Formats: sequence, structure tokens, C-alpha cells
Amino acid sequence: MQPKPKLSREFVRFFKFMISEIKPKPPYFTPFNVITVPIILLGLGILVIRFSKGLGAVTNLSQEFPWGFWIGFDVITGVALAGGAYVITFIVYVMRVEKYHPVANVTVLNGFLAYVFYAGALILDLGRPWNIINPIIGNSFGFNSVMFLVAWHFLMYMAAEFIEFSPVVAEWLGWKKIKKWLSTITLGAVIFGITLSTLHQSGLGALFLMAKAKLHPLWYSEFIPILFFTSSIFAGLTMVIMEGTLSHRVLKDHIDPDHHASHNEIIIGLAKFATVAIFVYYFFKLLTFLHNKQWTMLGDFWGFWYILEVVGFVLIPGCLLAFGVKQRNIIIIRVGSIMAIAGVILNRLNVSIIAFKWNAPVKYYPSWQEIVVTLMIISIEIWVFRWVVSRMPVMKKSKAR
Amino acid sequence: METYFYVNIFETKGLEYLLLMAFLVLLVLLFRYLKTPHSTKPK
Repeated sequence: MQPKPKLSREFVRFFKFMISEIKPKPPYFTPFNVITVPIILLGLGILVIRFSKGLGAVTNLSQEFPWGFWIGFDVITGVALAGGAYVITFIVYVMRVEKYHPVANVTVLNGFLAYVFYAGALILDLGRPWNIINPIIGNSFGFNSVMFLVAWHFLMYMAAEFIEFSPVVAEWLGWKKIKKWLSTITLGAVIFGITLSTLHQSGLGALFLMAKAKLHPLWYSEFIPILFFTSSIFAGLTMVIMEGTLSHRVLKDHIDPDHHASHNEIIIGLAKFATVAIFVYYFFKLLTFLHNKQWTMLGDFWGFWYILEVVGFVLIPGCLLAFGVKQRNIIIIRVGSIMAIAGVILNRLNVSIIAFKWNAPVKYYPSWQEIVVTLMIISIEIWVFRWVVSRMPVMKKSKAR
Repeated sequence: METYFYVNIFETKGLEYLLLMAFLVLLVLLFRYLKTPHSTKPK
């Protein structure tokens, strides 16, 4: 009869621990809280209207433009920027480059939350959100469709990322044996996650293969899945650089002193990888440009817009990152990273919104409610991220390691 | 007898092959450029 009281004791301990951890910690009136709380409340109000009166009540979506800002920014851009998780886990767990281990947990957490919130934002955009279960249970769904692949991959990737992060949760809860067991399956989850990422990052691009007549020829290419995949590599890496920079300023109390010291070396190393990825992506862009003989289209507004994206937000940040690595200058690397992130956002918005139905007489512009809901999703994600980092040993060395 | 005199690189894939060769050469140069000595302290 020994196990029963032990189990009940553990349950009581767990319950008390959770109650103490859920309580918010001061200071409450920080600038971040003061800005984000009204956004979250307003966003929740808009969502009540969206689910009670339908998409038309709060969005500018129509039969002509069924995909808008929520898909274009939250899902297609958000997932690209979350690519850091599969790149870092590949470097750390598969290539065994231990130098980047300090940023592995926090990057996986960021990736997991990004998928939960940004891919989860798909539910907001579905006219009948309860039908989201259909691709999962295979009910009336085209098994050959790219959307089927993307839906399954999002779900499985979230599970894989959670398994990758679960040893940190187990350590936080004090479950030593479970943590040890979870650590043994991490590598499997990492390899599974990387496989899924390569496919669904390119799969998001493949969604637009059918839209040849709708997408401007400068952005349409048969190689759009490869372009989406390669750009997600440097998008993820530059996001890790920026997130690391912000975390080191805002959450410095939760970071190991050793990690603090090696932070700049990690940033320079990541910038090196990002430079090579940008270089490869730029040449893919150039190759598709030459292959489709697109130089005849550069004379109008769309041509200038394309040059701005490819030169201003791909080539220039690539050069800045290379120069920053050579000079070992963190500020130049940060500027290059911000520009590269802006370039990926611009590319995804061009493909999904701006250059989509570029010759239609009526254009789509997101409503203010769509923008507020997007800001709300980003704010809630940062809140959850901050809650996890300030409680779990995310940026600290594992005691068992 | 059919003969081909494709000398225009825009009509053939010549330009793409040239780009690929340039890519491989520049990639090596980029690797060499990024390989910095570790003695310098980050600024």
C-alpha cells in the first residue's frame, strides 16, 4: 500500500507548486504590460465579434480575397520566422556543435510558441473553425493536397517541439526520472521535427504553385517551395540573433553567467550561417529571375518593388552580416539581422497579399481589427514566453548536464 | 541536315550555367572571407 500515499503526496505538492507558479510576479506596471494589456483586451473583444457575427464583421476579406493579413502575416510569415528552431536543433543535436547549446532550449520554446499561436491563428481565419479537425481525421479531405500536408505537419511539428522542450518542463516540476527518459527521446523528436520543417516550410510556398495566374510573375516561380525553404533558414537564424539580443537585455536575471560571456561568440557564429544561407537564397532568386527572363518586367512599379525586396532586403543585409562577421561587430550584425527579417516579412507579404491578384481592379487592405488581432497574438505569445522563461530553467544550464 | 548556331546566351541556358559557375566560385570566396581569426575580441 506504499505507492498510494506517495502518489497523493506528489499530487498535493504538484498542485501547490502550480498555484504558486501561476501567480503573477511584480513589477506589474512595466511599459510592456501597459502597452500590451489594452491590445489584448481589444483583440479579445474583436474576436468575440468575429466568432459571433462572422469574418465579414471585422475583416476586409471577401470572395475575391479569401486570404488576408491573418494568413499572410500570422501563418505564412510567422512560420518562416519560427524556422530558427529546426536550424538550431540540427546544429546542436545532429551536428553536435555544443557551442550553440545555450540557445537551443530558448529557440525551441520560441518555435513551439510561434507554431501554437501563429499556426493556431488559422482557426480565426476559417469560416467554419470547427472543421479544422477534418484534415486530421481524414474526413472529406484531399490527401494529395498541399494544405493537407501543411495541416498535418503543423500538428506533428508542434508535438515534436513540445517533446524537444519537455525535459525543461520535467526539470522545472522536479520530475528527475521522467526528465531522464524524456532526454533520451529528444534526438528522435529533433530528427522528426527537422524532416517535418523542411517539408512544411517549402509546403507553404507550394500553396502558391496553383496561383500562377494570380501571382505577379516576378514573384511566381516553379521553385517557390525551394525559395521558401532556403529563406526560412536565414529568417530563423536572424530571428534567433534578435531574440537572443532582446532576451539578454530584458531577461538577464534568468541567464547563466557563462552564457552571458559566450553570447557574442554565438551571435557571430549564427550570423556566419545566416550569411551563407542568404547567399544561397540570393542566387536561387537570381537563377529564377534569369530562367524566367524577368528582366523585361523591371520597368514599372512592380519591378522597382521587386528590386527593393531582393537588393534592399536580401543582398544588402547579406553583405552587412558578412561584413559584421569579418569585423566581429555585433551592432552591424544586428542591423543586418533586422533588415533580413524585414526582407522575409516583405517577401511573404508580397507573395501572399501585395503581389497576389496584383492586377485586380479592387485591392485588399487589412482592416484595423485584423491588425489589432495580429498584435494581440504577438503580445500573448510574448507574455507566455516571459512566463515560461522566468519560471523554467530555459536559459540556465541543466543540473543533470 | 539541321545545324544549330546558338550563340545567344539569352536563348540557351548559357546564362544560367555561367551564374552557377559564378555561384560556386563566389561561395568559396565567401567561406574564405568569413573565416576570421578568433583572437579579435567582439566589438
